[in-house]
Amino acid sequence: MFKEFAKGLSITLKHLLPGNCTTVQYPKQKLEMSPRFRGLHRLVPTQHREKCVACYLCPTVCPAKCITVESAENEKGEKYPKVYEIDLLRCIFCGYCVEACPVEAIEMTDAYELANFKREDFNFDKERLLKS
Amino acid sequence: MVNLTIDGKQITTSKTSTIYEAAKENDIYIPVLCYAKKLLPYGACRVCLVEVEQMKGRLIPSCTTPVTEGMVVTTMSDEIKKVRKTVLEFLLVNHVVDCPVCDKGGECDLQDLTYEYEVVTSRFEGEKFDLPKDEANPFIERNMNRCVLCGKCVRVCDEVVGYGSYSFINRGFETKIATAFDRGLDCEFCGQCVSMCPVGALLPRPFKFKARPWQLKEVNSVCGYCGNGCTVTLGVKDNEVQTIRFNDETGVNDGNLCIRGRFGYSYVNSNKRLTKPLVRRDGVLKEASWDEAIQTAVQGFKDAGEQVGIISGARLTNEELFLVKNLSKALGTENLDHSGGECYKGVTEGLLETLGVRASTATFPLVEKANAILAIRSDFYETHPVFGMVVNQAIRRNEAKLSIIADKFGKLSKLPNARTLLHKPGLELNVLNALCHVIVEEGLAKTEGLNGLDELKAALKEYSAETVAELVGGDADAIKQTARELAGAENAAIMLAYGLPYTAYSKELAIAAANLALLTGIAGRQGSGLYLCGEKANSQGAIDLAILPGGKGMGAQQMLAAAGSGELKALYLVGEDPLVSYPNRSLVEKALEKSFLVVQDIFLSPSAQMADVVFPAASFAEKAGTFTNAERRIQQLHVGIKSPGEAKTDFAILQLLLKELGTSAPATPAEAFKSLAAETPGYEMVSLDMVGPQGYVWGGDNLEPELKQLVPVAGAQPLADKYQLLVGSALYHSGTLSTHAKGPNAAVAAPYIELGREDAAELQLVNDDMLKLKTVEGEIQAKVKVDRRLPKGVFFTPYHFAELELNKIYSGQPAIAVEPVKV
Repeated sequence: MFKEFAKGLSITLKHLLPGNCTTVQYPKQKLEMSPRFRGLHRLVPTQHREKCVACYLCPTVCPAKCITVESAENEKGEKYPKVYEIDLLRCIFCGYCVEACPVEAIEMTDAYELANFKREDFNFDKERLLKS
Repeated sequence: MVNLTIDGKQITTSKTSTIYEAAKENDIYIPVLCYAKKLLPYGACRVCLVEVEQMKGRLIPSCTTPVTEGMVVTTMSDEIKKVRKTVLEFLLVNHVVDCPVCDKGGECDLQDLTYEYEVVTSRFEGEKFDLPKDEANPFIERNMNRCVLCGKCVRVCDEVVGYGSYSFINRGFETKIATAFDRGLDCEFCGQCVSMCPVGALLPRPFKFKARPWQLKEVNSVCGYCGNGCTVTLGVKDNEVQTIRFNDETGVNDGNLCIRGRFGYSYVNSNKRLTKPLVRRDGVLKEASWDEAIQTAVQGFKDAGEQVGIISGARLTNEELFLVKNLSKALGTENLDHSGGECYKGVTEGLLETLGVRASTATFPLVEKANAILAIRSDFYETHPVFGMVVNQAIRRNEAKLSIIADKFGKLSKLPNARTLLHKPGLELNVLNALCHVIVEEGLAKTEGLNGLDELKAALKEYSAETVAELVGGDADAIKQTARELAGAENAAIMLAYGLPYTAYSKELAIAAANLALLTGIAGRQGSGLYLCGEKANSQGAIDLAILPGGKGMGAQQMLAAAGSGELKALYLVGEDPLVSYPNRSLVEKALEKSFLVVQDIFLSPSAQMADVVFPAASFAEKAGTFTNAERRIQQLHVGIKSPGEAKTDFAILQLLLKELGTSAPATPAEAFKSLAAETPGYEMVSLDMVGPQGYVWGGDNLEPELKQLVPVAGAQPLADKYQLLVGSALYHSGTLSTHAKGPNAAVAAPYIELGREDAAELQLVNDDMLKLKTVEGEIQAKVKVDRRLPKGVFFTPYHFAELELNKIYSGQPAIAVEPVKV
């Protein structure tokens, strides 16, 4: 019995030695996210404008109803999202919006540090989503 | 009847049906792109192919193939599926797949079929169309890259509207739908093509990028403009009416609408709407609370004692009109009237004297089966466009003979084989008398049971076709021909529109029309009818409910005169703007100035600006209730959106007034309907449950006349003046309300004076020149519009616009003698 005990403890002790620790020293140290990770959304920009054409598929598919889109016509007569907002407090990070998008205009980044102090700051508008 | 089998189901159907129609009746699904209920079969898309056992070896288009006895049809098999899929693949070769930005996405027939048949790849390759878009007009956006060449727009514009804007041009792969010379669209913008298009090739521009179809809440209601009573389906999102949806399942209009119905809704969302009650303090209208406004108004009415007059509009629901009537009783006044008082005299007095009824004697769909049609006044299409479309269908389907008694040409004159009995302004009565004369002279009259025939015969002596033709400047043979057609037709219709711009001799005109209807047997005969169509949505309701002066009460004109002289102390205008729309401006101005004035409206109209108290009311999209249209069809309105600010429905406002006066009022419109039905002749047996999606026609399809009394009416003499001005309606507008809507305003934004080319040349005027018309009473000026509608010496101006101040020179006369001066 003692033998097993020593064996177990030795594993523990081994991990206490420098270089063998599995704990990530967050926030000094950060993990690399898997490419499939669903973090903060990003609106994909193109050269002149956002890629999004305001087709309303993402707000339609969104199970949490956290996406607000308002389409309008720009100077060139193209359809664009005048308003594109995601309420992150409601978002459940399911990624359906990304899946529904016919033009690959929305994707999910690996950003997960989304804590904030004010309720309003959880409302991500178009400008913020383009920069994220 | 024919018996056939579709998908193993035994079906009995009429022998005129096609396979598709037979299947649809029995809920068997066959996909279609180019089929539409109201259009003739065409067979362009080949999506509806089915197998018929008797015609083995090839697939049969079900929408064009009539049923035959013993037919055995299969609507789905592997082969059919393969062929349909191939058809879709072919369509998608050139079709741009821009569904994300296409407003049709979500209700696109092509999209749905592509999904259903799982067309995910294409075996064919080809260039995508890259044709220029037509965005020249503010109503209809044409993107021919999305077109599938079903031809529905071409057919609806021809078969239903009778305008013929579109046609196929070029051949083979180059084929496309185009307008004349492939220019931008320039038509009457009824948007019928938009409602028919199965894909996103034709879209309503005001709705561009506004919302997706699935986001819209659909609310069935009735159009608030004219007396045609078309059902409209409001597309509501964010408490705004975003668009008018296509719906051919309800009402009498088969999904047909005019520019006003389809594009004229935007006034309900206008930010110029009144949102708070206004009360005049120190000479200025200031916002006030409802309590204060109601108390001020009631105090004013009480101070006036019995000297109160109520003038109502005809766009109130029946329930609201019922409360208006209750209010007049509560105030102890019989001075109650609507719509100017003069214009509907034709129905209330003319028809009552001759036929003993106060409404059209038949329903609109019957006109489709008519063989002969007479329209009195060319403006009929302008005031009731959708009824005009029914006339067009009668001509195309039934080869109906259309005659128009008119002082100018209009849309109806352009319909195939239409005969225009052109006359000098103000002589409709003479032409009608001449028609009666011909019928009597040639022994065509159906004299059975008619009273007063001898008197009429004697009075008609002076109106032989030749004499009248000479006087009015027409053609005697044409008059005779029309008379013979009307007398000889199995089913015939006589149509006359009434409204505020047509106040002159309206009673006499109705009598003359009724005389003709009696002599030809049209009145009361099954399938035929005399139609007197009111200008506003509930004109007929107002007459049915008797919003008319009681025993000793004054009519609208008398009320205004009495108010002007100080005899009448208070005036209550409900949804009317007499300052703009009633004849004789100085009279109205004086009346509104002198009296204690309460106005209830949705905009601060020129009349409301003179008021002491203004109540903000609700539009048709915000209220529940019923309208009765010009064919006596009672239809229900439903609440689509909330009123802006503190605005209340007319019903709620009248309730408040009644309560303040210490009388009880029905709690809901439904309750009010019950009470009004009990009191109103014709409505006794009607309950709201009977008013279904198709409405309920009181009195039945054919209203039996209670009298058959011929009454002679005297014709008129033409004005001798060189230049005469006609007043009327423009197609794009209705009353003064439509001037607040973006749609109609985009077509015609400002008043104009229309004249013929000859006059334009003589006066050296071109389009958009400023023209002043002088009369003894005053002058008006507006931009010139030159076209071919008007005979020499005749000008025309619509009455809708406040800025024209037309009633400075218009006091109800049929034609105004004017002196044109170029500015």
